[in-house]
Amino acid sequence: MSDLALHIPTDVIDGPTSLVAALIAALLIGLCVVRARRGLDERLVPLAGLATAFIFAAQMLNFPIAAGVSGHLLGGALAAALLGPWLGALCVTVVIVIQALLFADGAVTALGLNVANMALIATFCAYGVLVLALKVLPRTRWGLGAAVFAASVVSVVAASAGFVLQFWIGGEEVGQSFGAMAAAILGTHVLVGVGEAVITAGAVTAVALARPDLVHALRGTRLAQNPRTLKEHA
Amino acid sequence: MKTKRFLLAGVLVTLVLAGFVSLFASASPDGLESVLLTGCDTAEGEITGGTCVLQAAGDHEIGGAFADYGIAFVDNEILGASLAGVLGVLLTLAVATGLFWLLARGKRTESAGEGA
Repeated sequence: MSDLALHIPTDVIDGPTSLVAALIAALLIGLCVVRARRGLDERLVPLAGLATAFIFAAQMLNFPIAAGVSGHLLGGALAAALLGPWLGALCVTVVIVIQALLFADGAVTALGLNVANMALIATFCAYGVLVLALKVLPRTRWGLGAAVFAASVVSVVAASAGFVLQFWIGGEEVGQSFGAMAAAILGTHVLVGVGEAVITAGAVTAVALARPDLVHALRGTRLAQNPRTLKEHA
Repeated sequence: MKTKRFLLAGVLVTLVLAGFVSLFASASPDGLESVLLTGCDTAEGEITGGTCVLQAAGDHEIGGAFADYGIAFVDNEILGASLAGVLGVLLTLAVATGLFWLLARGKRTESAGEGA
């Protein structure tokens, strides 16, 4: 057993399920590449690189959530808020691939599973909540912070639900029933999600105060000015 | 804030997080790992008895010099962890920026081709 393992390891989910997840993930990441390209101008490139590196670093920072249990950032909500879902999903994917290939974290055979949960499910769920929340909340630092907070919690729980689904299809229950395990996974990740929410809301508000133009979720509007203008973006 | 200064500040914060703050991170198993360990007894990160899902997990396929966010050939664990974090950030920054730059450049070449 390793000291710092953050993602699904080898042989927990069976081969066929992992393979199908890999195919689905590859297809959707391909779609993300196509769509991310449309909105990608060269000005955004360094920010996307920095966001990716930040997610890598933040994933190393396990925070305690209960006795003997820790949580860490997944990064989907941060990527979605700053860069939008398509480019955001690619950032998290780069992190997960580097971790699997170089840091022995997350099995290579489980890449599809991990990418599906953390890069795709988390990022797109976060973006959905963010868009809905910002329709209701004011575009102030607190409104944005609250929207990001909600998006983060939902994204982490949704990602963990992705694992529960994968385990239901291709896992083998040992030591506890599937129901007990599913409840434990989802319950634990509500707490992880709150941690993710604190970090992400802090980071996104900090960026929004310094450079509101670099927050995709604000879509070109500034904080507390022109609050309800929804410019359609590409 | 100017873009250059913003990016520089971001990179510095990220390097400090990975190279220093990470040393104080919780060593407890994360949410996923702890549930997969349910049913097993553990001591110092090793499974010592019982039955749980994680027993089925094999070793990582590659492993490598940076396995588990350390550096195999650096004896001092703290130094190794710190360096691994810093190297990981720089590598991630380079790979991501490179890939996204290629993606943006491909778009420009394409639209230039359409214009010609």
